[in-house]
Amino acid sequence: MPEELFKKTFTIQSRNFDKAGENSTEMKAILKGLNFDSEIIRRVVVVAFEAEMNVVMYARVGTLTFRITEEDIQIEIVDEGPGIPDIEQAMQPGFSTAPDEMREMGFGFGMGLPNIKKHSDSLGIESHVGKGTTLFASIKLNSNA
Amino acid sequence: MREWTHSFKIDRDKCTGRLGCMRACPTQAIRVKDGKAKLLSELCIDCGSCLRVCPSGAISATTQSLKDVSKFKYKVAVPSAVLFGQFPAAISPAHIIEGLKSLGFDAVWIIGVETALTNQAIREYMRKWKGRFPLISSSCPVVVRLIQVSYPGMVEQLVHVEPPRELAGRELKRKYSLELGIPKHEIGAIYVTSCQAKTISILEPAEGVKSDLDGTVGISDVYNGILSAAHASKENGPKTTLQDYLFSEDMFQWSTGKGQRGNLRDYRYMALTGLSNIIRVFDDIEKGKLRNIDFLECYACWGGCVNGNLTVDNFYVTRSKLQRLVAGLPDQKALIEAEAKKRYPRENLYAKAPIRPRPIKGDMGDLKERIKRVKEAEVVMSALPGLNCGLCGAPNCKTLAKDIASGDAQKTECIFFSKDRLEKLRAIYL
Repeated sequence: MPEELFKKTFTIQSRNFDKAGENSTEMKAILKGLNFDSEIIRRVVVVAFEAEMNVVMYARVGTLTFRITEEDIQIEIVDEGPGIPDIEQAMQPGFSTAPDEMREMGFGFGMGLPNIKKHSDSLGIESHVGKGTTLFASIKLNSNA
Repeated sequence: MREWTHSFKIDRDKCTGRLGCMRACPTQAIRVKDGKAKLLSELCIDCGSCLRVCPSGAISATTQSLKDVSKFKYKVAVPSAVLFGQFPAAISPAHIIEGLKSLGFDAVWIIGVETALTNQAIREYMRKWKGRFPLISSSCPVVVRLIQVSYPGMVEQLVHVEPPRELAGRELKRKYSLELGIPKHEIGAIYVTSCQAKTISILEPAEGVKSDLDGTVGISDVYNGILSAAHASKENGPKTTLQDYLFSEDMFQWSTGKGQRGNLRDYRYMALTGLSNIIRVFDDIEKGKLRNIDFLECYACWGGCVNGNLTVDNFYVTRSKLQRLVAGLPDQKALIEAEAKKRYPRENLYAKAPIRPRPIKGDMGDLKERIKRVKEAEVVMSALPGLNCGLCGAPNCKTLAKDIASGDAQKTECIFFSKDRLEKLRAIYL
């Protein structure tokens, strides 16, 4: 395991749509201050925002932890919520279980997980139905994958 | 680190250290040390927010004076469309054109055709664009600089098309050089501007390649001169025929921040004015939150160029006057279209060079060192009062913490951590 250089944990409140995304904005400010390449920052922020939105939409409560190592930037989201019964299905673009109410607000179009996958170098999801989901994504510092 | 040229200067002698500029700055580029404002050049995006709020008149725009313009053999004014909405209704565009000439300009160039050319080029650029959306308008120099400094990942989304004013500068030099037989460099193309930022796009172009304009004079600098010239010609009325000038409705639309509304009506288009609004939307774009937009037209001044720093009249009034003006101008549509059609194939309408992010000093050293400083700043921050009073000379506690961590400030500059600090401030301000 590469040495962990920086770690920060945020709490994500479920259903808090007006504040949703603030954590990703704060992460962006930190990464910018650290002079990371703008394309890396962009990918981290997209991954964090989508993952955060999933918690806001579906879970009861969750945390977002972001770590910087010498090799990559890692985002780990742990939530207590309904879990994902079929992860493979959830990864399909356009698949969504969002109720109409959320779609009306412009969320839940089934692009969350596909977008996370597209913008990260590695992605792992572990989910227990009825308990919650853990998502782990990383973005390498020296690749443009 | 290089010093950037900016569109305003801070007069240290006049500065009374009232902190207004520091608080208004959207990029935290101002500190007030020893009662005097100091600019961090690389962070400044030339928006002029500081200029608007300075109570002591210490910050002034670096437009040229009419005297500077006189060095050119042939002087051509390229007025911003905003100029025509600044005067009482009795003063017509013909008066305004004559007024400019009475101030020493040999000719006045109206940007109707150039606006049509830029519009057409933007459409073509949109059609051919294979990269990331939304595309972002690039005619407001402040928006371009905001992206270079704060949203470097978005620079490629700036539309790479020259604004009408630049096209005008190029064309008028070509035309008058040919007609009058004088070399291009003896022809001065001077933009009559509604804000200081257009000056900077000439003196320090974002793409690093020389502008086709030679300088600017502010609307407020020519205002009185035009008024008195109009007054003097009252008896006989203006002799200028407006038929000779190619005004268009589009050029007035541009100045109210919605220049592309009609042009891009088949795209998902959004007009955005005011820096704080722009910053909010850009943050959403970076997160991938705003997806269904093809084109963003952005102007740093709220309401568009009509609300520029160097305007005279209230911008609501100006906007309303421009609307009325459009109705009263001769219809030149066919002429403009024909002229644009002729020029479009032979002109290079794309920006002269790519726009790149501006290198920011930020945190130097290797990743471990940089992280050490960020952590240090967090520790300092947690000890600061969080009142954002600004008495330390930084706009808020967070910025002070960052300055301390990078060695640019002392913790004792916070009045909570030093008894002497208050004494020192008393000596400066009381």
